[in-house]
Amino acid sequence: MLRKKTNGAAGRPRNESILSKVAQSAVDRRAFLRGSGLAIGGLGALAATGGTVTRASAATAAEGAVEVVKSVCTHCSVGCTVLAEVQNGVWVGQEPGWDSPFNLGAHCAKGAAVREHAHGERRLKYPVKLEGGEWKRISWEQAINEIGDQMLKIRDESGPDSVYWLGSAKHSNEQAYLFRKFAAYWGTNNVDHQARICHSTTVAGVANTWGYGAMTNSYNDIHNSRAIFLIGGNPAEAHPVSLLHLLKSKEENNAPLIVCDPRFTRTAAHADEYVRFRPGTDVALIWGILWHIFENGWEDREFIRTRVWGMDQIRAEVKKWTPEETERVTGVPGSQLERVARTLANNRPGTVIWCMGGTQHSTGNANVRAYCVLQLALGNMGVSGGGTNIFRGHDNVQGATDFGVVSDTLPGYYGVAAGSWAHWARVWGEDLDWLKSRFSVMPGAGKDGKDRLMMQEKGIAVSRWIDGVLEAKENIQQPDNLRAMVFWGHAPNSQTRGTEMKKAMEKLDLLVVIDPYPTVSAVMHDRTDGVYLLPAATQYETRGSVTASNRSLQWRDRVIAPVFESKPDHTIMKLFADKFGFTDRMLRNIALDGDEPNVEDITREYNRGMWTIGYTGQSPERLKLHMANQHTFDKTTLRAVGGPADGEYYGLPWPCWGPPEMKHPGTANLYDMSMPVSKGGLTFRANFGVERDGQNLLAEGVASVGSELTDGYPEFTMKMLMELGWDKDLTPEERAAIEKVAGGSDPEKVGKVNWKIDLSGGIQRVAIKHEAAPFGNAKARAVVWNFPDPVPLHREPLYTPRRDLVADYPTHDDRVDWRLPTLYASIQKNDFSKDYPIILTSGRLVEYEGGGDESRSNPWLAELQQEMFVEINPFDANTLGIRNGEQVWVEGAEKGRVRVAAMVTERVGRGVAFMPFHFGGHFQGEDRRSRYPEGADPYVLGEAANTALTYGYDSVTQMQETKVSLCKIMKA
Amino acid sequence: MARMKFLCDAERCIECNACVTACKNEHEVPWGINRRRVVTISDGVPGERSISVACMHCSDAPCMAVCPVDCFYQTNDGVVLHSKDLCIGCGYCFYACPFGAPQYPQAGNFGSRGKMDKCTFCNGGPEEDHSAAEFQKYGRNRLAEGKLPLCAEMCSTKALLAGDGDDVSAIYRERVVARGFGTGAWGWGTAYQRKGS
Amino acid sequence: MSVRRRGLAIGIPAFVLAALMFSASLIQFGLTIDHALAQSSVRPPDNAVTNAPAEPGLPRVQDAVPSTGGAPSEPLSILGPNSDATLWGEIRQGETFTVSIPDKKAATLIQSYGIQWQLTRAKNGALRSYGGMALFAMLALLFVFYLFRGRIRIEHGSSGRLIQRFSGIERFAHWLLAGSFIILALSGLNLLYGRELMIPVYALLTSPEQGKAIFAATASAGKWLHNNLAWPFMLGLLMIFVLWVRHNLPTATDLRWLAKGGGLFSTGVHPPSRKFNAGQKLIFWAVIVLGVSASLSGVSLLFPYELPLFATTFEILNGLGAAAVWGAPLPTELTPLQEMQYAQIWHTIVALAMIVIILAHIYIGSLGMEGAFDAMGTGMVDRNWALEHHSLWVEKVESEAGSAGTAATPAE
Repeated sequence: MLRKKTNGAAGRPRNESILSKVAQSAVDRRAFLRGSGLAIGGLGALAATGGTVTRASAATAAEGAVEVVKSVCTHCSVGCTVLAEVQNGVWVGQEPGWDSPFNLGAHCAKGAAVREHAHGERRLKYPVKLEGGEWKRISWEQAINEIGDQMLKIRDESGPDSVYWLGSAKHSNEQAYLFRKFAAYWGTNNVDHQARICHSTTVAGVANTWGYGAMTNSYNDIHNSRAIFLIGGNPAEAHPVSLLHLLKSKEENNAPLIVCDPRFTRTAAHADEYVRFRPGTDVALIWGILWHIFENGWEDREFIRTRVWGMDQIRAEVKKWTPEETERVTGVPGSQLERVARTLANNRPGTVIWCMGGTQHSTGNANVRAYCVLQLALGNMGVSGGGTNIFRGHDNVQGATDFGVVSDTLPGYYGVAAGSWAHWARVWGEDLDWLKSRFSVMPGAGKDGKDRLMMQEKGIAVSRWIDGVLEAKENIQQPDNLRAMVFWGHAPNSQTRGTEMKKAMEKLDLLVVIDPYPTVSAVMHDRTDGVYLLPAATQYETRGSVTASNRSLQWRDRVIAPVFESKPDHTIMKLFADKFGFTDRMLRNIALDGDEPNVEDITREYNRGMWTIGYTGQSPERLKLHMANQHTFDKTTLRAVGGPADGEYYGLPWPCWGPPEMKHPGTANLYDMSMPVSKGGLTFRANFGVERDGQNLLAEGVASVGSELTDGYPEFTMKMLMELGWDKDLTPEERAAIEKVAGGSDPEKVGKVNWKIDLSGGIQRVAIKHEAAPFGNAKARAVVWNFPDPVPLHREPLYTPRRDLVADYPTHDDRVDWRLPTLYASIQKNDFSKDYPIILTSGRLVEYEGGGDESRSNPWLAELQQEMFVEINPFDANTLGIRNGEQVWVEGAEKGRVRVAAMVTERVGRGVAFMPFHFGGHFQGEDRRSRYPEGADPYVLGEAANTALTYGYDSVTQMQETKVSLCKIMKA
Repeated sequence: MARMKFLCDAERCIECNACVTACKNEHEVPWGINRRRVVTISDGVPGERSISVACMHCSDAPCMAVCPVDCFYQTNDGVVLHSKDLCIGCGYCFYACPFGAPQYPQAGNFGSRGKMDKCTFCNGGPEEDHSAAEFQKYGRNRLAEGKLPLCAEMCSTKALLAGDGDDVSAIYRERVVARGFGTGAWGWGTAYQRKGS
Repeated sequence: MSVRRRGLAIGIPAFVLAALMFSASLIQFGLTIDHALAQSSVRPPDNAVTNAPAEPGLPRVQDAVPSTGGAPSEPLSILGPNSDATLWGEIRQGETFTVSIPDKKAATLIQSYGIQWQLTRAKNGALRSYGGMALFAMLALLFVFYLFRGRIRIEHGSSGRLIQRFSGIERFAHWLLAGSFIILALSGLNLLYGRELMIPVYALLTSPEQGKAIFAATASAGKWLHNNLAWPFMLGLLMIFVLWVRHNLPTATDLRWLAKGGGLFSTGVHPPSRKFNAGQKLIFWAVIVLGVSASLSGVSLLFPYELPLFATTFEILNGLGAAAVWGAPLPTELTPLQEMQYAQIWHTIVALAMIVIILAHIYIGSLGMEGAFDAMGTGMVDRNWALEHHSLWVEKVESEAGSAGTAATPAE
């Protein structure tokens, strides 16, 4: 019998069982097997470094030893640990990160393929510019100079607001923070990133309901859920590793998994109850469920009495949503919703999960608030196993949002008001007046004839940059149109209205793409000049922190040096800052390693300013300690058991109060009053005053465990400390710092200093010393009076097939916001449903992410999805005479059309079509592969779904409406 | 004695294809060769399930039986391996294999196949362990490093299990009990009959 | 002697040339097929492997549209609906499902026909045992025949007068066919029996490891020859058909010839026959029929999954009432893989049959009968030999040539 060739030396006796070897080896691999059973925690027993030594000695003994570098996957927000095996600077292998509490060694297709970034065969290899229709290789110096000069010219002619800095959820926290600061120093609020078109409605809606706009619990905490209610999300494809946690509670707790989605997703395939409803009727669906809950008195009255405000107004609205009306609007039979309601009532705590399916609507903010109200009614908030587990999209979209790479706020959700600027100027040690001088002012254009200070105006949202270019100048509330776009890690094909975007790109003076890949921005337009592509390094080629969906920060170490001529984002920012001449000011507190700003210094700088959401305790040292001791953290509670980080939560999920020295453990589950604040407990935030219409907005006689204030209380100010007599707990240094902020020791002024702007963190420290939450203890708001729809209302989508419902549930009137006019009624009043009878929605494929330029350039992924397609129900297909696999035209209601393959499947319901949005490089039937720079074209190209998708923006955040539109489909 | 087996838990598999790319990654498998693949059953309708499939390393491996040049061999752990030095790319093992595991690169003129390539249970081939030749022909040899196949180790939901048959079936039994129902451990009948090894 | 050498000089080089010419042309062919696989939306890596089927697959698209199942909004039971044995049954029966990769064959989870194919072909399988027996039986038969009948002599001795029996082109065709066939047969048998017969031999000569290595080398060389010589074989087949079909139409004389057993079993008996006697005609038609069948199945094996034959063949057979013979209608729904399996089995069957028959042909054409080889060697045969075996043909030739005497020149 054929046997192993042996050379005596390295050859092993083959008759020895390998498993017996395994048993001896450092890692007992059978533990992995056990761990992969039900006892997921069992995986904690594994030390992942075992075995690699063997490879080092054996694989290629001649070369250097293999070192294992810990990084974090750059795809979705689960935050899977990537163990990279590096040999002589070459990334030679990936190993499962058993110790990570988030992924326990697991990966999805993307995570298991990230090593390909190092091959980078189709990466953008050096800076190029488009000249006479040809890509011309240029040096970094030339690129920065030419781009810089043109921008400065535009700045002189049209003001800083005519340059749009489009950042990225792929930045590390440090890069995101520096990017926002960079935009501030350039002098504009026209800065934004993917969060706008991802979870902006969630952030706004949820923050306005109870304080913070983020996932309240964690993926791991789902282990404790007794029911899982998933709406508008397909984690099986978008966050595959999260299913590890969902399925655990499904199997161990027998927790029913309820999936509500217009499409029978791969997640729904594993559901116990699948609710198919018409796209764009989320609010109606939730109210329909609540109707049963209220009818049967299944709500948690005590919870509502003590911790919720405005539920009565909700009741009034919900009354209208009888099973009949709900079925008329959503198409879901009342009997099923009754069962769903009963299941949720009988299985508490249950968690609610949602993603883009709920947020990407013109009514997005109402949808997400409806979900929140459902949880408030069931009393599922602030408990382990409950909460709203909002799965963020990109690996650092949470962090980039927190650090304000958005046009309406500075880092830490401080907003763009005068006070916010003053705070950050203090943190940056910047002269506020100089900062002001960087921004333009529109004399007399402000409220009642005052000057319009662009510094304090929300910028244009990324979803609307097209209109910022194309809209008539007089309709735009800024000095001039957008003239330059900087796509710094953002795919254009992830945004709707592709045909108009093409026009906009062609109208621009200057188009700059800073990205590891050329992206569709390089090819979708017909420009022949004025386009620059700069190769950015991926996160594996630099270091820094990243915030997972559950608010935990993880530290990435650098796996390999930047490949080809690429540079890390923060280095590129520094180069531009040099060109614009504010490097010394911007990097005042940050050391330079050559051209690269020191990453740890950036972390320490934002630690000194991010008081609002508790990004202050996560010093680089603490984060690195956690990464080094992942195995000491419990896989369900995320709390370290013994070890150097004993008692702390993994990754110090924000809010991690006070300065690092305070050693706050972070907050694993938000608003959980069963724990003292110093141990990660929390109350609902008092962010909306103390009373409304004579009703008390503060909590009723409840507070977090151990709190010396046992009733509701407002957010902490110095004045409050003094009244409580707690101010004597402040150290002299803290008092001094507070007076510095107040600009004097005058008690009146000092009293005004609050927990958010006290740079010493003293107020927070003292409040927490008495186990009180710095941001107060209030009720959650079921009614958000500062939104267009205080009580979430069902409104028909702009492009609706149900004309009969428009009268009863009309959309908003047109409005002007975010510097631009935004259309609602004037679109909905037209009936498109005759010519465009089929509802068009979009979503994800597991192999790809976002615009897909990165993943379609990865052969291991691209091979698995080689052709763009549209899902059509057999009923519609047969009616239209379309056969499976045929090429069809899908034409959106605004006449954008894409040529794709038909996939006839029951996955979508009658009258609904679905397209994945990751493809690009074809445009309305034309293959534009030849327009890519030589050798940098992705392996797989296809039509971008968003070419056919249409107008429609959320009334609060300008979120684009990609999840419900109209189209017609015909044979190609 | 140990008997290496694969088991894919269809109740957990979500068709995320991690096993597929992990395999490509670990062994530098070229585009067009699919040592492992994910097949979806009743795609898009209730009852949809996915199964990750590769060489099952059968007890009485049909490929071994039909190979005209006798290039296969089974290790003491039950892993079915083959020698690319001997393989002539006749394709018989593909005709015989119940699981469609063998893969062939196109070689030479018309349909003629190159040397067969298939899942090695991350156990390399006849070349010396960890030698460059072994890696280049068969990929990494994880078993020799005391590790299990990467596809299973990286599985997003731990649906794909690999290792000693007893451990694997013990875990699966545990899950079935917790669920209160169980699907067949698909393919086991075909691959291992009732044999322990 | 010079004459014979001239004769061989025509056959062999011509055949070699032909072989090279064909394999060369086919390499082009192969490349064009690779090309056909390219997809518009895809530019694969340079190291990509083209083993995908001809039709580029569509991600996740099933080949058959699913029959509209239960309304998807209908609730799934708490215990999961998906444990039904029927599904696993389907899988076991080789049901095809959905894969996102283009290779549609991958959509079959378990193909059970492989087992049957294996049982037919593999060690101790019907094919190999019966095939082996047939070969052995034929060899034994010829040996016995030789013992009793010995070499069939020219009864009246050599006349010294030669007649042209086969022209150059006829002999070229014959040797093109014969030469390629012999190599095809040997390389084929090598694959079928080599593992048991040859490996031990090589192993004995060297070492167990070496033995396999040597056999593998010969086997892959054989595979290359087998693939490339298929084409000369088919050309030869075509040529002899065109050249000889008119001489091979059955006539009454054939019956008389057969009645006398062709005089093979008794001395002095010489049933008259034309250019070809009934025996030769039988061989001719056997070669044509089996050769064509082997060629067709061979070609479909040569281009895997691209030239399926059997589904249609079976339909036709069913139409002819094969069910009656077979007991049940033949399967007409075949997976690409089954097509290959049938093709492979059938190819082996006809090849074996052909080999068995040709063994007899070779015997009688060489060792078995004095003067027979010259016909294909030099093309010239002794007049006496011709009179004894093809009397009618001789008369025809000579009458055409007018007076007999002047026609041919004496040898030496």
